[in-house]
Amino acid sequence: MRQSPRKISLAEWDTRYAEMKKEGLPEPAYGGRLSRHVNNGDYRLKRLSFDNSPASLDLWNFLLTEDERLHESRKAGRKIVGTMKDLGTVPVMAYAFPNITAFYPDGAWWIPCVMEMSAGLLRVADSLGVDESFCPVRAMLGAFVTEAHFPIPDLLVCSVGATCDDFSAIAQRLEAMGHAIVWWEMPHRRTPLTGEPSVRMPGGLEAPVDQVAFVRGQLAKIRHVLEELAGAALDDDQLSAAIRVANEARDLLERLRRLVFTAKRCPLPATELLIAEMLTIHFCSDRDECLRVLGGLLAEVELRVAAGEGLLDADAARIFWVNPVADVRALTLFEECGGRLCGTDNMFLHALDRIPSTGDPLECLAMSALSDPMVGSATDRALRICSDAKTFGAEGIVVSRIPGASHCALEGTIIADVVRSRSDLPVVELEVPPVSDAFSSSLSTRMQALVESIKQRRRP
Amino acid sequence: MICAGIDAGSRTIKVVLLDANTSRVIGAGVTDQGVKQPELALALLSRVCSEAGVEKVQIESIVATGYGRDALDIAGTTVTEITCHARGVREDQPDVRTIIDIGGQDSKLVRMTDKGYVRDFVINDRCAAGTGRFLEVVASRLGVEPQDLAGMAERADSPATISSMCVVFAESEIVGLLSSGVTPENIVAGVLSAIASRIAAMAGRHIEEPVIFTGGVAMVPGMDKALETALGCSVAIARDPQLTGAYGAALLAAEANRFP
Repeated sequence: MRQSPRKISLAEWDTRYAEMKKEGLPEPAYGGRLSRHVNNGDYRLKRLSFDNSPASLDLWNFLLTEDERLHESRKAGRKIVGTMKDLGTVPVMAYAFPNITAFYPDGAWWIPCVMEMSAGLLRVADSLGVDESFCPVRAMLGAFVTEAHFPIPDLLVCSVGATCDDFSAIAQRLEAMGHAIVWWEMPHRRTPLTGEPSVRMPGGLEAPVDQVAFVRGQLAKIRHVLEELAGAALDDDQLSAAIRVANEARDLLERLRRLVFTAKRCPLPATELLIAEMLTIHFCSDRDECLRVLGGLLAEVELRVAAGEGLLDADAARIFWVNPVADVRALTLFEECGGRLCGTDNMFLHALDRIPSTGDPLECLAMSALSDPMVGSATDRALRICSDAKTFGAEGIVVSRIPGASHCALEGTIIADVVRSRSDLPVVELEVPPVSDAFSSSLSTRMQALVESIKQRRRP
Repeated sequence: MICAGIDAGSRTIKVVLLDANTSRVIGAGVTDQGVKQPELALALLSRVCSEAGVEKVQIESIVATGYGRDALDIAGTTVTEITCHARGVREDQPDVRTIIDIGGQDSKLVRMTDKGYVRDFVINDRCAAGTGRFLEVVASRLGVEPQDLAGMAERADSPATISSMCVVFAESEIVGLLSSGVTPENIVAGVLSAIASRIAAMAGRHIEEPVIFTGGVAMVPGMDKALETALGCSVAIARDPQLTGAYGAALLAAEANRFP
């Protein structure tokens, strides 16, 4: 059943799936042919290439069946919480309750890409006055209107403040449409003043003790709201246990990322790694299964690395990628142009770093939330990128902008300037719209030119 | 050994023939771009070969570059225009640190290392501001040919201010300026200045000298001066700026043949 790693098309996956079924492929409940999702409107799959391992098939199927899990949760009487914007904090707490399922409605930002605009979500957002001058996450508004992609949550919580201007505006529009939101505030993380009490946080960051205490207070409010929804109190031991499980997922992902970024030959495509990173944020609505899927992917990658197997050219240019792409096809294109991932900052590194696990669990969660790359300065973010790029041996950096996303427009230049001043790595900015077909020529020119310049530099 | 570089740009196709043994350019030509790109490129190559007294079969290696590079079956290899412009410039002026290339449909700013390699680059190809297309739109609106714009800019006595960075809106501004009595000469000078401002924005706060200007728009007299004003530094025009990409492609074709 196991094959040498390679990237295959959707049609090739169908053939391979049939063969694996004959050989007795063990499948989870959400398993099946990958191409069946096209029948549900996920047309973009036809334009992508995929890793050929059973572990990656599980990964894709798990991702693309999240809406089904959410509806099943509702049928089973579980409470559904829409956690918005914080990316990686509130779900840790929500999954500490046995009767709550949490997910990110923000995840709807990928629907225009995956369904190649057929769902009409951006048109709905346009009609609500949230046009293309906003981030594609505005698709979330459309998803709330059509109710075709996730059940309307029993509770909506949203972090606001220093998180994201676009998202704050979009979420306010959502509330104005009648969807009540419990807001919690995230301050702009600042550098402690001289002599000011401070704490070391994940990602090598430092923040004033007062700011951590403030965020802890905000999270205490959310804890109370969740307790009311669940009809049960959440004690510190339960929360600590939930943090331990979240850290299990983060540890798996950390090992996976390190292998993918540092292996001599790239053992996993960029798209699959991006999905794995996304799963870790909220467990894709099933925490236990998320751990199994990540574990399976890690085991496959470990086997490949041990065997010296890879699926891209051995001399692929090693590139650090900044910001998630609205169209995952761009990552396929990136690999076709001769690049491989060698580090990522998809704007939620705080959701991948281990949550501190000693002391007051709510304070630990507050520290994790406050180390969000988006709530600090762009310079902080750039310094981490420089450090990680060096650790993973990156030879160049791509800063991928998301059209309409205000933070991307502001941060890209700052990140590029800081990286240029601290390293001699080439930095290239590009912009990826939700469906990038019309721009694939200009995107590939940028990517190919970056790969060419990296290979020129390698010459003695 | 004869090598060729073909630059299939958005507005024109350029060919350079190189004698790789002497590194001497033995032929060059330009033709308008069209729907049948491969045929146009082949016809141009044939013409250039004929003028140079070379048989096409004598060409050992061809590198294609430019936005239409992948459509040219006659090329053995494709290389991006960023690398080709850098290679072409390096051959003549190895100390150059910044290349500004303004073509028909995009503009690029390439930063070079002290070894003459590409450090990194910025491309504008999402809007026509800062490209040759802007000049074409202006020429059309003013009822003149694009090549006439240069002389007009030189006759300007009070360049107009074009505030919009969008060509469509800039066109509306031009209509407004004309109706308020601003001379076409002053409008053209204002447009060159607007294009230069766009390039300066791409360059950011730091620009390393020497700066060299390539691409078809470099042949518009006055554009280099507008760039100098916007960037606050000297800007030299490359030798045969329209051919820099094709020249670089030919040099890379020769290298690929020498060091496969």
